[in-house]
Amino acid sequence: MTLRILKPGLQTTIQDTGRPGNLYWGLSSGGAADTFAMALGNRLLGNPDGHPCLEVTLTGPEIEFGEDLSVAITGAHFALFHNDRAIANDEVIQMYRGDTLRFGALRSGARAYIALAGEIDITATLGSRSTHVVAGIGGMQGRPLQAGDQIPLRSCRSAPPRRLPPQYRLDYRARPLLRVVPGLEQHYFSTTAHEQFYGGGFTVSPQSNRMGIRLAGESLPVENIPQQISSALCPGTVQVPPNGQPIISFVEGQTIGGYPRIAHVISADLHRLGQLAPGSRLDFESVDIDTAHRILRDKSRLLTELSEFTDEVE
Amino acid sequence: MAIERAPAEPGFELQPNGDAAVDIRFFAEPSAALSETIISLAESINANTITGVTELVPAYQCLTVCYNPLQLTCASDGTPGVSKLRRVLAAITEKALAQNTPSQRERYLIRIPVCYHDDFALDMRALCAHTGLTPKEVISRHTAPSYLVHMLGFTPGFLYLGGLDQGLYCPRKARPALRVPAGSVGIGGSQTGIYPQATPGGWQVIGRTPLALFRPQQEPAYIAHPLDQVQFFAISKNDFSGIDPFSAPEQISLRQASSEAKKP
Repeated sequence: MTLRILKPGLQTTIQDTGRPGNLYWGLSSGGAADTFAMALGNRLLGNPDGHPCLEVTLTGPEIEFGEDLSVAITGAHFALFHNDRAIANDEVIQMYRGDTLRFGALRSGARAYIALAGEIDITATLGSRSTHVVAGIGGMQGRPLQAGDQIPLRSCRSAPPRRLPPQYRLDYRARPLLRVVPGLEQHYFSTTAHEQFYGGGFTVSPQSNRMGIRLAGESLPVENIPQQISSALCPGTVQVPPNGQPIISFVEGQTIGGYPRIAHVISADLHRLGQLAPGSRLDFESVDIDTAHRILRDKSRLLTELSEFTDEVE
Repeated sequence: MAIERAPAEPGFELQPNGDAAVDIRFFAEPSAALSETIISLAESINANTITGVTELVPAYQCLTVCYNPLQLTCASDGTPGVSKLRRVLAAITEKALAQNTPSQRERYLIRIPVCYHDDFALDMRALCAHTGLTPKEVISRHTAPSYLVHMLGFTPGFLYLGGLDQGLYCPRKARPALRVPAGSVGIGGSQTGIYPQATPGGWQVIGRTPLALFRPQQEPAYIAHPLDQVQFFAISKNDFSGIDPFSAPEQISLRQASSEAKKP
């Protein structure tokens, strides 16, 4: 009744929607880096959007199934193999006891989700099963999966064969455009700094992780910006430390910070941070808060509408 | 961004912190009194259970109110937006300032054992060189004050403490250490604190506590609340190894803040 990890991949973790509500205590919410891709996989299987799943990062795992159950793989596009037969993203796959699922080369994006038609049978910590790597809690002993781990499962079932409609099959090959609202300290930054930031000159540094997306490029001028007194740092906030290389706070980011904030990635685009692969060049576009909220409502509606689509077996 | 009202004593403004949080920012300098105001305001906002509000994050000069934009209620013209939430928050803040009620939570002095032995005090020499004090003087000055917990944050269980002896102020390291052991007690600038997790860090480490600051299997999972006070006391290396990391620290109840501050 387990998933046996034959090869763990770079950072494969158990994730759900995390532990919101603990910022008061310094615990960032954590949870899936791309909640939208996780929700799509779960909807394919008839699960709630935040049902615990596996998050795969850049290099994928090899997993042996000890149970018959359906899975769906969404998010980043990897070469995928079910017992050495190539399989596709974004559709329900029936696994049988003894089968293996193997991730090959990454084609686009950064994180894939393995949604499961079953329950990961581990104890919740502070209300969630998700692995919070920084805090060292959740998942398997609070850490990414290792070779030899056996993830206990229960209530495994088979889901009807379904495939995401074409308009929901996300493609991560295009150059990412992130919408932002103005930062709390944006007025301290010079016109040159703004032009540079919005000019598309930054790429995603390989040092990025679930704490933060580090950007690399020509340093933003920050010499004359006064020191800030530490206050809440929300996910998506773009801080500029003294070296002028921006950092976007992410799902396991520190909850309090003191660097000047040039912008905040809008809520609707936070999930896209999870698909930024090292080396990708990025664009930022400034929107106002009402627009940011409208985009979020539209995106939320997309998921609601999907329930109707997936009721049709293709 | 727009100031919600003309600044009055102590004065505040509302600022958007991204598209899912509003900062209630006070103009006063950080102090014990301002932290009292901020924590008391957080209690008022919690008591009002405002639709859409998801999290409150106190800091030295600011209370951040996080909200779910999908749960915002509509303004009178029917458009959903943050303006109504801002008005509600401004009204609660003004009322809280006018009433000036101290935080209702009972508070404690929490005594935290620290071993200042050379094996743990990795940067004691650097700190002594900078401050001109002997290790004995450093320990004496570090264990004397009752530090105020302004807030928790950064990583789970980290305490932002106020009240460090000015004689101990010391710049952070030019090159942060790649891994500071969990429990390390350090000084960075005008701050002192304990690293709850093993993380990279730039503070000058002068000791280590055997106690865990983050206890996910316990309720509560944290050893102190905002407005509690913390005092360090020196222990030997032998004492250190005898203390269970998950044992409860000694807590001494502090008298509630004076009720004279309450107004009808």
